Amino acid sequence: MNTGGKPGTVPYTVPIGPVHPALKEPVMFTFKMNGEVVESVDFAPGQTHRGIEWMGMRRNPVQIVHLTDRICGICGVSHSLAFARAVEQIMGIDVPARADYVRTIVAELERIQSHLLWAGVAVHELGFDSLFYLAWRVREESMDVIEYITGNRVNYGIVQIGGVRRDITEEQYPRIKRCLTYYRDLQDKLFHLFMNDASIRMRCRDHGVLSREEAIKLCVVGPTARASGVKMDVRVDYPYSAYGDMEIEPVMPDAILGETRGDVYDRIVVRLVEIGQSVEIIQQCLDHMPDGPVMWESKYPKLLSACKKAAGEAVGRHEAPRGEVLHYVRMDGQEAPATWKVKGSSYSNLISWPVMLKGEQIADIPIIVASIDPCLSCTDRVAVIRGGRREVMTKEELTRLSIEKTRRLKG
Amino acid sequence: MNPIQTLKRSLWVFHLNTGSCNGCEIEIVATITPRYDPERFGIRLVGSPRHADVLLVTGPVTGKMIERVKRVYEQVPDPKVVMCIGTCGQSGGVFFDSYNLKGPIDDVIPVDVYVAGCPPRPEAIIHGVVTAIAKLERREGGA
Amino acid sequence: MTVQILRPEEIVERFRGAFGENVLEAIVKERKEGARKNPATNIWIRLKQEYLKPGIQTLIEISFPHLSVIAGSDLGEEVELVYIFSLYYGVRHGEYMVSIAVRLPKSDLRIPTISDLIPGAVFTEREKQEMLGVEVVGIPDPRRLFLPEDFPEGVYPWRKDETGIPDSMIKNLWQVKRPKERAAPPVEAKEKKGGVQE
Repeated sequence: MNTGGKPGTVPYTVPIGPVHPALKEPVMFTFKMNGEVVESVDFAPGQTHRGIEWMGMRRNPVQIVHLTDRICGICGVSHSLAFARAVEQIMGIDVPARADYVRTIVAELERIQSHLLWAGVAVHELGFDSLFYLAWRVREESMDVIEYITGNRVNYGIVQIGGVRRDITEEQYPRIKRCLTYYRDLQDKLFHLFMNDASIRMRCRDHGVLSREEAIKLCVVGPTARASGVKMDVRVDYPYSAYGDMEIEPVMPDAILGETRGDVYDRIVVRLVEIGQSVEIIQQCLDHMPDGPVMWESKYPKLLSACKKAAGEAVGRHEAPRGEVLHYVRMDGQEAPATWKVKGSSYSNLISWPVMLKGEQIADIPIIVASIDPCLSCTDRVAVIRGGRREVMTKEELTRLSIEKTRRLKG
Repeated sequence: MNPIQTLKRSLWVFHLNTGSCNGCEIEIVATITPRYDPERFGIRLVGSPRHADVLLVTGPVTGKMIERVKRVYEQVPDPKVVMCIGTCGQSGGVFFDSYNLKGPIDDVIPVDVYVAGCPPRPEAIIHGVVTAIAKLERREGGA
Repeated sequence: MTVQILRPEEIVERFRGAFGENVLEAIVKERKEGARKNPATNIWIRLKQEYLKPGIQTLIEISFPHLSVIAGSDLGEEVELVYIFSLYYGVRHGEYMVSIAVRLPKSDLRIPTISDLIPGAVFTEREKQEMLGVEVVGIPDPRRLFLPEDFPEGVYPWRKDETGIPDSMIKNLWQVKRPKERAAPPVEAKEKKGGVQE
């Protein structure tokens, strides 16, 4: 891939990945660099392709719900919620209102933990490790409550076709409310730490810009789209579960900062404010929790035979922490669905990387790649080919470059 | 070489994702953060396999990753301990019958310690590291 | 925004007006969830194959839609592609899910790319090429997306005919290194109760 083969030829090619010690998908990047500046980007996902949809077409819906939990460990409830909603629409059943509220509470707790996780990772990419540890320490509170409600820290297994597997009882409310108070008290401190820090501002302002037009054209979703000024949030636009009953508005950067620049900084702001929004949604859910059962049919054989009779097609959508998750299901009266298409939120967002990275410096790659929350940095091992000589750059070195840049800026 | 002399303190860990769902990944990162703080025992994540004593492997090994798993394993200097985190790396877990999986991990590289769970709790992961040290000590005693 | 908001029925009317008989199916469905049962609107439209692009053009004229994904199914003789959009996002409780489906005969699995209208479609079109064996004509980037480089040609995971995944490609991970004397998996063990325990 070395262009020309002569030493010092520009632009030179930098492949990054796919192995990295961070999270989700290992992705393979190829950067064309001109000195320190990125000229063009290409990437190849699919390192973690497990053929989940194909496996799902061989299993029954109740089994698939447990598979959907494990599509993504961070969006544990998002995929199962979207899938369950699709199947419920095909079956034509109504989920008990209380189950909708339980689903919403767990989904919002998930958003809190996911955004804190991301915030920590983002500042880690900038070399601000004390804040990384702080963010992850406060994240444990939401993990504790999730475990308290569902029994699991990750892959909650709470959603079932036709409802939820566990109710939230009256005795559990005080513990959840304590968690909400904890985050409310923390909100200002967190916002101050992230937004008033000079080095975060210098590294993130006007870097990785995605304009509104590009965001619409490239069909990005979630906080990435909102940070670019596209007002879209499935929870608000398209009422489902208990979100239709909630008084919520999409979090937009211009409402908070007075302007929209579509850069990394705006993405941090949107996510931080959404933590507060999630706290309020959970509060509203707890205040208006309807009574009643949490399952449409609690006997599994009956549930399964009802699933088997269902025929038709439907789409289930949910606003996951990273954006819209969509499951298309077609059933034809067989045990297994005829078609199952999963669209995760990063599926829509990855395509914005080339636009964001163009013209940026190599040291900015980690934070820009992380800024769409692609299930983490994709910059573990970088092989730099300079004039035919192959140097292997580890993620550590790339992060070191990033940290050095922060230091340089701080002067 | 006597492994325990080299590995007695400060186990440095490299984490390799071979196609896992991310559940184990976030639990591994949660393990190294202040709540559990294994850094007080010298256990920390490093960014390069060449610096590591312990290789944490997660995931059921996808088609694109199999060669990379072998390469990373070879890059970890001896003596090394390989830990397999999560059920899907051991038996496939929910992904037991896919067309694009080449696992389980112990079919690709040798594994010393298995930590079961989908995903295992941070306590279980720390226990796994402790078990790895104990295993090395036993190995020393036997030799 | 000063876009005039059409009701779901009016959108269906717009399609019927533009394409007449070529709209094979058009259904508006509502789904009500939560305690207040606010309705969410889903519009399902099925067009003749050659009217896909004009159909999406019509949708763009109404309001620029957000393309979520293209889903695809193998229906036996035909392959169906379902283009799933959301329209009027940003309006509180006003978003419609619009799906435009087309069916392609298996003898001629070709469909024009829509990435000139919606650049974000490239990703999902690449996926359809490798997963269903559909040829997207004019796609700017025809490479594989998710499947590994050494994945055999002519095998398409989502197909249910002979081009689907052959049994030889499936690796049952739970069977690897399983001791021979260990009891068989539960389904078979039930039939030969007792005997297999040894």
